[in-house]
Formats: sequence, C-alpha cells, structure tokens
Amino acid sequence: MPEKAFNLTREMLDHSFAESVAPDREKLLTCIQCGTCTASCPTAYAMDYTPRQLCRLVQVGLRDEALHSRTFWLCTNCYSCTIRCPRGIALTETMAAMKRLAIAENVEHEEKESVSRFYRSFMATVRHHGRNFEPENLIRYYISDPLGLIGQAPLALSMLVKGRIPLTPGKVEASDEIEAIFRTSIAMDAAEGAA
Amino acid sequence: MKSYTYFPGCSLESTASNYDHSARAVMQALEFDLKDLPDWNCCGATGADVVSHLLSIALPARNLAKAQSLDDQIVTTCSACYLNLYRVNAHLAADPPLQPKLDAVLGEIGLHYAGGVRVRHLLELLVTDVGLKAIAQRVQRRLSGLRVAPYYGCLVVRPYAEFDGPDLPTSMDRLLTALGASVIPYPMKTRCCGGVLMTSQRRVALKLVADLLEPVRDADCVVTVCPLCQLNLEAYQRAVSAQIGAPVHVPIVYFTQLMGMAFALPEAQLELNANLVGSDRLTAQVGRMSVWA
Repeated sequence: MPEKAFNLTREMLDHSFAESVAPDREKLLTCIQCGTCTASCPTAYAMDYTPRQLCRLVQVGLRDEALHSRTFWLCTNCYSCTIRCPRGIALTETMAAMKRLAIAENVEHEEKESVSRFYRSFMATVRHHGRNFEPENLIRYYISDPLGLIGQAPLALSMLVKGRIPLTPGKVEASDEIEAIFRTSIAMDAAEGAA
Repeated sequence: MKSYTYFPGCSLESTASNYDHSARAVMQALEFDLKDLPDWNCCGATGADVVSHLLSIALPARNLAKAQSLDDQIVTTCSACYLNLYRVNAHLAADPPLQPKLDAVLGEIGLHYAGGVRVRHLLELLVTDVGLKAIAQRVQRRLSGLRVAPYYGCLVVRPYAEFDGPDLPTSMDRLLTALGASVIPYPMKTRCCGGVLMTSQRRVALKLVADLLEPVRDADCVVTVCPLCQLNLEAYQRAVSAQIGAPVHVPIVYFTQLMGMAFALPEAQLELNANLVGSDRLTAQVGRMSVWA
C-alpha cells in the first residue's frame, strides 16, 4: 500500500509502546529500516503495513495505528525476519506480543477474528484434555462459521478414512496439573500487565 | 539396545500417526528404542504465546521437568514441539527474571525446571548421533534414481539453528543421499508453508503452498520433517493446481517413511497408504527397485 502521511501530534504518540511489545526494546529502537524483515517475510504481500513499516510505527510510538494493522495477524511465526535482522531484533516475538495486546484491548479486525478464534479454539481444547483433540478443536473453531465447516468436511472425511483423525482424545492423566498451569500463568501475566 | 526419551506430541497421535509409526519402525531397525515421556502434555504449538507468554514457557516446561528425572535429553519428531521445548531452555538462559515466574507456576504442581535437558529433533539425532554411515549400512534397497525434494520448513532450523543452517540446511539432503536418492536442488526448502494460517487465513496461506509446490511438480516426492508442513503440502494440491493453472500431484512423505522404504520395512510399519497423495505411484516405483538381503 502507498506510504501514509501523518500529521503527528503529541497525543498520537505513546513512548512506552515499544517496551510493552518488545522484550528487547533497546534493540528494537536501533532498527535502521533496511527492510530485510519485509524481504524475508512470506506473508508481507498480504499485509497492510510491511514488517519494516510496523517496526517503525512501534519505534515512534504510533500505538493505535500499529494495533489496528492486520500485519501481526498474518505473521506465521516462521522466524525468517528474526534470524536475518542485522540488528538482532526478535520481531517474531514482537508480533506475538501485539496479538496479545490487541486481544486484551479488544481491537477488532477482520483478520483477527479468524486467526485469534483459531488460537483460542486450540488452546481451549488443550486446556480441556492437556493435548489437542482435532475434532473438538475444529468444532470449537467452526461453531460460528458452519459454512467453513462444510468446506472443510471433504478433507476431514478423507483424513478420517485414512485413520488420521482419532475418535477419542489422547488425555493427560494429571488434568489438574494442566489446569493449574493455565490458571497460574494467565493470572500472573495479567497481574503484571504483561503483553 | 540404546533408548531415547521420546516426546511424540499431539499431531503424532492423530494427523501424523504415520510419521509416529514410521519413526518408531526406523529407529527399531537401527536398534534404538523410543520410550514415550510418561503423561506428556501439548507443547502449546503456536497458540500458547497468543494467550499468555508465561503459558508458552510453562506448558512445555512441564514436559522437561518430568523428563529430567529420566534422561538428560529428549527427542521429538514435530518441528513445533522441537521449537517450543528448545525455546524454554533458550528463554531461561537469556531472561533471568523468567526463572522465578516459572518456579511459581511449576511449584503449584510440585515440579521444578531450570534448564539442563537437551532438546533434539529426530533428524538431528539420526544425522549426528546415529550417523550417515550406519544409516547407509542399513539400506537394503537403494533409492537410485528417485528424485526427491527435501523440504525443511521453518522451526526445525529457525530461530535456533542448533544443528544446521537456518536458510539452506543440508542435513536431510545428506541423509537422503545416503539412502541412494537423487536430491533435487530446492531453494524454497526453508520457506514457510503457512502453518495454521491454512485454516484461519486460507487465501493467504494457499499462495505460500503454491510457491513451494510449483517448482517441484515433477519430483517423485517431497520429503518433510514436520506434521503441519506435510498436511499443508499434500491436502490442498487441487486448489494449488487451479491457482497456478497446471496440475500438481506430488506425494508428500515423511523422511522416516522414505528411510523405511530404503530399509525395505513392511508397508504396515510405514503407512504410506495413509498419505493423501499418490503413495501408490511412489510405492510401485520403489517396489521395482531391487532389494539386497
């Protein structure tokens, strides 16, 4: 997309933003805008801001603009940007932190709806059994999108015929341990206000 | 018989059961035993970090905490499990304030973990510990003339690149060569398959798979080391054909299945029939190759 011009005002800038989404804030601030991340990113072609541009938004503290981007929702976690960045910036970790922040602040977005719904369905299934159980994960994910489920049916059926979808879940026996890990981790992160 | 503590992971008991079974069979043939970590749990895949950063560490750390009383290393076949388990050690080493937080979570269930269990991918174990020489010696049917494209995907080499290069790794190339196969140069070997975006953002991910399959349409098979890569590459070939305007029908097999074929192991152990694309053609092709006792 074409570069967007901003009439920057003091109110638009949040100088603590980088800290809240970058575990290595100091490094992120050294970004030289070389664009190696964008050139390495397999899904940059579908993003509104490229990874380089998103990094710049974080640097200057344009918080709202960054959080309303679809860019981090299209990050596949492939780590290509992270290993190639000449400044050693762990951009993949920042993409994950932005997903958490956008969820915590209910920033709505078309891409967010399906991507975060998938992650939440998956993690709810894992919390339930301690392991993923594909039929349950898919039902949780598609319950609000029955047409999507119909579209997925032929593949699910052929996988079932091939014996690659189990009918009963593999379960962790110590299910109380899994619940304790979820409960404590989420509560501690929330108490710290960590994104 | 030497045994390794094995972390199968969720996919290996469902969508990738053929990977699990062929991996066990191949290790057995090489006289190694894979012993499951008792009562293991999901590593969190790519979802845990979206829910809570601490959860993305604590969930896989439970497995490492349980493993440390049994062994000083753990081996896994799934690239996402490999990354998440490895990442616990890496984050604990790089971020000291993380340790007390992890202590608080694992303390709730009477466990403790502070690093120390070495995390291995089966590909790494085979190439470095077992060794290509031992593998080549076990081959009973050289896969001569079989044109294979080695596809590594992301997480087995990124971001940690523990045993091979992050962009153009060679370990699987060398392993396939040891089986007698002809390895096709494949510059896309570590480009992403789209991961779970194939479900949640189909249009975006389909282009990635099309880009991966287009240059290897004529290969006899593409060889993978990860359950999600395998599924993404084989399950959407009809849509990819429509997208690029040329037929794509290439078998996508696990490296352990191909090893098993070269070892002349029975189909019942390799489960190529469970693959969705063209395994008949591949088994017929390999079946014509001569077997030495």
